[in-house]
Amino acid sequence: MSWPQDAIDLCTDRFGLTLCETEGATVEREQLVALATALKNELDFRFFVYVVSVHYPAVDPIPADEEKGTEAVDGIPDHTVVHYRLRRMATTERGTDTFAFRTTVPTGEDCPTVSDIWVGADWQEREQYDLVGTVFSDHPDLRRIMMPEDWPGHPLRRDYAIETQHFPWR
Amino acid sequence: MNDLESAPINTGEDDGVEWTTVGGVRVPVDLITPPWPDPYMDIEDYDPDADLMVLNMGPQHPSTHGVLRVKLVLDGEICVKCVPYLGYLHRGVEKLCEKLSYVQITPIVDKNDYVSPMMNELAINMAFEKLIQAEVPRRSRYIRTICAEIQRVGSHLLWLGTFGLDMGGAIGGGGSIFMHTFRERELLLDLFEDLTGCRFHYNTHMVGGNRHDIPAGWADKATKVLAELGERCFEYEQFVRDNEIFRARTVGVGIVDPVLAMELGISGPILRASGVDVDLRRDQPYAAYDEIEINVPTETTGDCFARYLVRVAEMRESIRIATELLKGVPEGPIGSLKPVKLPGAVKAKHGLGVYSAIESPRGELGTFVVGNTERRQAAIPYRCKIRSPSMHALQLLPYLCPGNNLSDIIVALGSLDPIMGEVDR
Amino acid sequence: MTFENPWIHGLVMGLIIGNVSLAITGYSIWFERKFAGRMQNRPGPTVVGPWGLLQPVADVLKLMQKEDITPRSADKALFNLAPPLTVFVALSTLAVVPVAPGWIIADLHIGILFALALGSLMVFPVWMAGWASNNKYALLGGMRSAAQSISYEIPLLLSATVPIILADSFRITDIVEAQLGGNWFAFWPPGPGFAAFGLFFLCSLAESNRIPFDIPEAESELVAGVSTEYTGMKFGLFYLAEYLHTFIISMVAAALFLGGWDGPGDHDGFIWMALKTLTLFVFIFWIRWSYMRYRSDQLMAMCWKFFLPLGLALVMFSALWVHAS
Repeated sequence: MSWPQDAIDLCTDRFGLTLCETEGATVEREQLVALATALKNELDFRFFVYVVSVHYPAVDPIPADEEKGTEAVDGIPDHTVVHYRLRRMATTERGTDTFAFRTTVPTGEDCPTVSDIWVGADWQEREQYDLVGTVFSDHPDLRRIMMPEDWPGHPLRRDYAIETQHFPWR
Repeated sequence: MNDLESAPINTGEDDGVEWTTVGGVRVPVDLITPPWPDPYMDIEDYDPDADLMVLNMGPQHPSTHGVLRVKLVLDGEICVKCVPYLGYLHRGVEKLCEKLSYVQITPIVDKNDYVSPMMNELAINMAFEKLIQAEVPRRSRYIRTICAEIQRVGSHLLWLGTFGLDMGGAIGGGGSIFMHTFRERELLLDLFEDLTGCRFHYNTHMVGGNRHDIPAGWADKATKVLAELGERCFEYEQFVRDNEIFRARTVGVGIVDPVLAMELGISGPILRASGVDVDLRRDQPYAAYDEIEINVPTETTGDCFARYLVRVAEMRESIRIATELLKGVPEGPIGSLKPVKLPGAVKAKHGLGVYSAIESPRGELGTFVVGNTERRQAAIPYRCKIRSPSMHALQLLPYLCPGNNLSDIIVALGSLDPIMGEVDR
Repeated sequence: MTFENPWIHGLVMGLIIGNVSLAITGYSIWFERKFAGRMQNRPGPTVVGPWGLLQPVADVLKLMQKEDITPRSADKALFNLAPPLTVFVALSTLAVVPVAPGWIIADLHIGILFALALGSLMVFPVWMAGWASNNKYALLGGMRSAAQSISYEIPLLLSATVPIILADSFRITDIVEAQLGGNWFAFWPPGPGFAAFGLFFLCSLAESNRIPFDIPEAESELVAGVSTEYTGMKFGLFYLAEYLHTFIISMVAAALFLGGWDGPGDHDGFIWMALKTLTLFVFIFWIRWSYMRYRSDQLMAMCWKFFLPLGLALVMFSALWVHAS
């Protein structure tokens, strides 16, 4: 998938971001709201497609092994990657475009909310909080949406076993 | 209008509709109504003298289209605040997708949008194919498109039946239209039974193509059934469109602001009825949609009646598309990979996320899949997110309800066509 | 058939007419389901008895053996009083309706007024049920029903005034006798007579909460409206009262506007009354299974802005007509 040129220019020129072929721009949390606002107001990406949190559990570093000749592999801390996707509706001059960007949120820290930029992010962020545990700061009403209110844990984290039970639900 | 050739298209030269451009998209001026109601309004701020009543339209209710709980705060019969509660049908589909392989996921995802199951299958298999960069042969793309269009007709028929139920009750006039549309839908389900062996939940799309091929004589039978349906559509229009009570209940009810709809992520008939001319089949063609011309019906009034008109026009258009495609299905294989039977047959090559979207009867149905690069886990997705259009449509409810009668809320909710299986997954 | 003693006359006639009406109402349930089924391209009840004829019996037995649940926080006296009161009010309207020459329970001088007054009383049991259930859906249904019934009484009375003026009597027997020989009030004077008949018909539909005016028991919005909390035979009584009321207004409409027992030529008799009543009854079913329901504010608007002026105009027209002729 190729991204629209004006979005690429915005990301590389103004924000200095790198772009991935399928996952879009990688942005820091501090610049997230600025990028989102620019995309909506200047480039007309008004359609909010989704926000997804993907949880990556911690990976221990592997020390170098001289016998086998392998090198040291760094450990990865427990973090979540939050992907966003926006769409620009088709007009008579151009077809429809999507643009995606993502940010990395270490576990335990907040991700800024975009629900005051796109109203549709509201419930989607609630769902990601509910299922993966990403806390969105400044969200108007961050509570569980799918699971019961008093459910412990966040089911879609990779370290949450699929057979976990919580009485009286199964 | 007994004309199957073309559905009404909005050409822009409407009588007396003023257009403006928001974000490059052309929308009717009358429908833009800021400020939008605040869904988190505190009830105490409303009116200290008003006698407010909290009515819980609970998960079990004859008309909430599945298990949806809506807490309404009513002032007399006018709604002041509306809080929907979801999750009653949450089955953990996305968690299951992290446990099952790419081959095994299709029957699970079938049950999301249980009214048009092939849409779910199509969306998810297209995402998987994008992930493993597989090609889909041309015959399979034709079969997929034909099935998708017939599913669209079936879904809109079911919507029409339940919409009548909302307005007339199961014991009464609604029941009549419900029975009629379901009778038509049975014809379509018989077609699918011939093709796949199942009436619902087919598991017929797979990564790289289709599992079932068109049997001999199916194309002729399908063409005949679709032609019959086309004429019955005309009967429905006569029965419902000119029915004075139907018009009284739906015209001017549940008007949707297109700017709000776009921000909420609503697409499909709801957005098209509010004047925005978007359709993923035409703008971002997938399967065999690039080989055929799509006429996208739109309306400019944004109320329930407009959504009804758009859906009936879409039904006609789908019948036309399917009939035309059935005439020229190319020969060839129906799957690009070897017959996909073993769970480990499909393996992802990279750990990045891909997204692919289709135009389901409710809007943009998409899947975001992240491949798994861990040891021995390549045949299972890492994360699978299903972007369901009904969930975004339901988000409209707190903005739509305030200021409306209880009866109007029921009708508006019905016209949004939420499918709770898709909302909760 | 008339007895000397009004008490004996009332008792015997009451037993006969009342039981026959209840039996016909019971079997109207079977007929409606068959009719609705055929309208929807399906056969209707066929399992219980030949052609499903024992279906009402099965329904009644089912309802009788259901558990009788009273909500703990419901107002028990009113809650239990409402269903039998509905049936009582509906049945008591039967007292002044003539089914054949001489066959009437109580031939009151103020017959039609008595019938309409009792019809108005119907508001109370429904309202009581809505309030006493202590359930918001029932409350909404009861309120809507009260508003609707009270509003629609006025055009109902006005349209019933037209045959009163034309026949110059409140007694229903006199009204029927004034139509004998083929000059039914529905067709005379042409136009306004039919309008009065139509108005009476529609307003009685609204009074008995039938589609398209059945917003008080709107199933898709208010689960079962007023009868949400009622189980078993109490629900059965509400159901029966609705059908009974519908049957009785068909009889009253047939008597007031369609000539009652007037037949072609000199062949008057009960059979014509029965035929006309049943035709209207079937017509009510037909409307029910074809139409959706109006919204409550649209109902009110229709009543006060359309039916009421029409009723007034009809009354004035008939008064002027009678005065002129």
